[in-house]
Amino acid sequence: MRKFINKILFFILPVMLLIYPIDYLISNYISESEDHAMGETKVWKDIYSGKINSGLVVYGSSRAWVQFSSKMIEDSLNISTYNLGIDGHNFKLQYFRHKELLRFNKKPKKIIMSVDIFTLQKKTDLYNHQQFLPFMLWNESIKDYTSSYTGFSTYDFNIPLYRYKGSLNSIKTVIYTLIRREPEIKRIKGYSAIVGNWNNDFYNAKSKNDFYEIKIDSATVNLFEKFINECKNNDIELSLVFSPEFIEGQHYVRNRKELISKYQNLANKYNLQFLDYSNSEICFQKQYYYNAQHLNKNGSELFTKLLIKDLKVNEKMNGEFRNKKVL
Amino acid sequence: MKQQNFLIVVVSYIFYGWWDWRFLSLILFSTFVDYFIGLGLLNQNNQRKRKVLLLTSIIVNLGFLGFFKYYNFFLDNFVTAFSFFGSEIRADSLNIVLPVGISFYTFQTLSYSIDVYKNKLEPTKDFIAFSAFVSFFPQLVAGPIERATHLLPQFYKKRIFDYSQAVDGMRQILWGLFKKIVIADNCAEYANLIFNNSSDYSGSTLVLGALFFTFQIYCDFSGYSDIAIGTSRLFGFDLMRNFNFPYFSRDIAEFWRSWHISLSTWFRDYIYIPLGGSQVGTWMKVRNVFIIFILSGFWHGANWTFIVWGALNALYFLPLLLTKNNRNNLEKVAQGKLFPSLKETFFMLGTFGLTVFAWIFFRANNIEHAINYILCIFSPSLFSIPKFPEIEKALVTIILLIIFILIEWQGREGQYAISKLGIKWKSPLRYTLYYAIIIAIFLFGAKEQQFIYFQF
Repeated sequence: MRKFINKILFFILPVMLLIYPIDYLISNYISESEDHAMGETKVWKDIYSGKINSGLVVYGSSRAWVQFSSKMIEDSLNISTYNLGIDGHNFKLQYFRHKELLRFNKKPKKIIMSVDIFTLQKKTDLYNHQQFLPFMLWNESIKDYTSSYTGFSTYDFNIPLYRYKGSLNSIKTVIYTLIRREPEIKRIKGYSAIVGNWNNDFYNAKSKNDFYEIKIDSATVNLFEKFINECKNNDIELSLVFSPEFIEGQHYVRNRKELISKYQNLANKYNLQFLDYSNSEICFQKQYYYNAQHLNKNGSELFTKLLIKDLKVNEKMNGEFRNKKVL
Repeated sequence: MKQQNFLIVVVSYIFYGWWDWRFLSLILFSTFVDYFIGLGLLNQNNQRKRKVLLLTSIIVNLGFLGFFKYYNFFLDNFVTAFSFFGSEIRADSLNIVLPVGISFYTFQTLSYSIDVYKNKLEPTKDFIAFSAFVSFFPQLVAGPIERATHLLPQFYKKRIFDYSQAVDGMRQILWGLFKKIVIADNCAEYANLIFNNSSDYSGSTLVLGALFFTFQIYCDFSGYSDIAIGTSRLFGFDLMRNFNFPYFSRDIAEFWRSWHISLSTWFRDYIYIPLGGSQVGTWMKVRNVFIIFILSGFWHGANWTFIVWGALNALYFLPLLLTKNNRNNLEKVAQGKLFPSLKETFFMLGTFGLTVFAWIFFRANNIEHAINYILCIFSPSLFSIPKFPEIEKALVTIILLIIFILIEWQGREGQYAISKLGIKWKSPLRYTLYYAIIIAIFLFGAKEQQFIYFQF
């Protein structure tokens, strides 16, 4: 038995000795990557290494990420800007990003919160979970915020390397980083323009279901209000923006009006600026979209210009008529 | 020895109770019933009373199995049958949780009562040893279904640690993990995708889906058996072999001698042979073959798909039995050779094709789904290029499958594919091989999937 145990220990020893250094190296290489996990890893890296420190930040989902050009806002408003939109996630993880931003960076002066039909919906699958891999070992805050989703197990958070099991994408990223292959820059200051024309995403969705209905999650609404209060308490100016959606897509969501009025009521309740672009001209021009929910590069640039103009106007109005329907 | 057995019972109950402690009572009840029936049979010479005791064991064990596994199936079918003849009856299905491994431990305990009844085995007076035999954790939930004559005596003697047995056990566990995590779980992703959306895909893609499932079920189940057998070897137990490279079979009889051996020999010994086996007239032979294959299908679950799968295998097997060709291929294919002959290859591929076809019924949600799947395969789209989401990722799985088949082929004369691989190599090289397998498990391990046979 002793010989057996010795041999097993001898076999396991190199694994035990190398498991953490290898984990460290892999995580490091991945976090250096520009394009891993659709560029989300890069944003997390910027947050955790305290590189953001911007005066203005944009929060939201993919509709923030591909529609709010940080560079244009920065140049026009003369305030450093970073787009923290997180693809495929609702407010819960957007709020987590906000918390981590405050922990590792200077607090921003202004937040533009891109709200959409999915913001207050509950989500259970941890979409694009690969973005967390390099940062999550023994990380309690990531564990807390992702534990209600299906995706990670306790082992992933506690055993080095375990979370990379079967993640060929991660290994590919490490190899690409090692051989210094030119990375595809996914996001500039968090923003990424999507060059492309209208695709069939919307019609495919419509062929499966005649309409879509959003279920508002009360816990997410409470969290949203908590966030608003925290911003107020920290002297952070907060604006809610409902960016343009293609008109046919607007009709597809049955309780869209209810959602808009929810945001409107919240804005009224907390005296926030609410810019609603539901009736903006862009909503009727298909050429500016690649699907019903997302503007393409041209559309996002046009929208950002509109947004900058409205932000400037509102600034001049000095807080009066803060809620606005944009036509 | 007593302490060793006691520890096994405790660990086994913890293991099973981890899933759902309420069902420990079922195992405990089965254990009590069969233990006392065994003792009853020991003290009873009256043949009638012995038969009553055996029947009690059969009714209790199959009663549990019938209730938990087949109640809703029979109820639904009775309701359908009555409505077919014009009389509507109302019966509500029950929301019954199927206890994990019930089909396995039921058959194992039954083997004890039957063997004691037939005087093939001395009943045990050692309750702890008997409890350990019923609940032995490595094979409790998915086999191999052990015979009392083989496993029970191993609990009567003290186990002494055997180095080479333990090392071999570890090697078998490693190979079992590779089969399950790398091959079965990866194949499962594509098999599930294609079977669950079969109407969206071309005939050629559906063929690929059936192939993925063919390897999923083999690697999932034989992988578990390897892990169970290997774990038992660490504790000094020798479990029966459950698979013998079935996809290299040259006819369906050879396939059934190599697939889920512990179940097929159970049916052979306790049902087929008592019914007269092949030593009866032609029609009785046909009846017996259909009985064991259909029962074998039904053992897997309460669904007509399993019954059709069993019947289909009976149809494959019958011509061999009736022409007395069912014991043609008793030795290993291409024994001592690197490659099979053309004839062997032809027969292996033919048998494999028949098996894949039958697995479609096994995997389908219902008979209609299976028939539509097959009809779609035999359409002009059979000759198109297979297409499904993430097909590039599936190529990695296909490459892994090819490597796996090659390793299985080179190791087909051993107990498991890597049982002899590298054992004569110097230790650094041998260790490199084991590390390579571990790295492969790590790199190519797919999303965790439950073992298929846990549901049976």
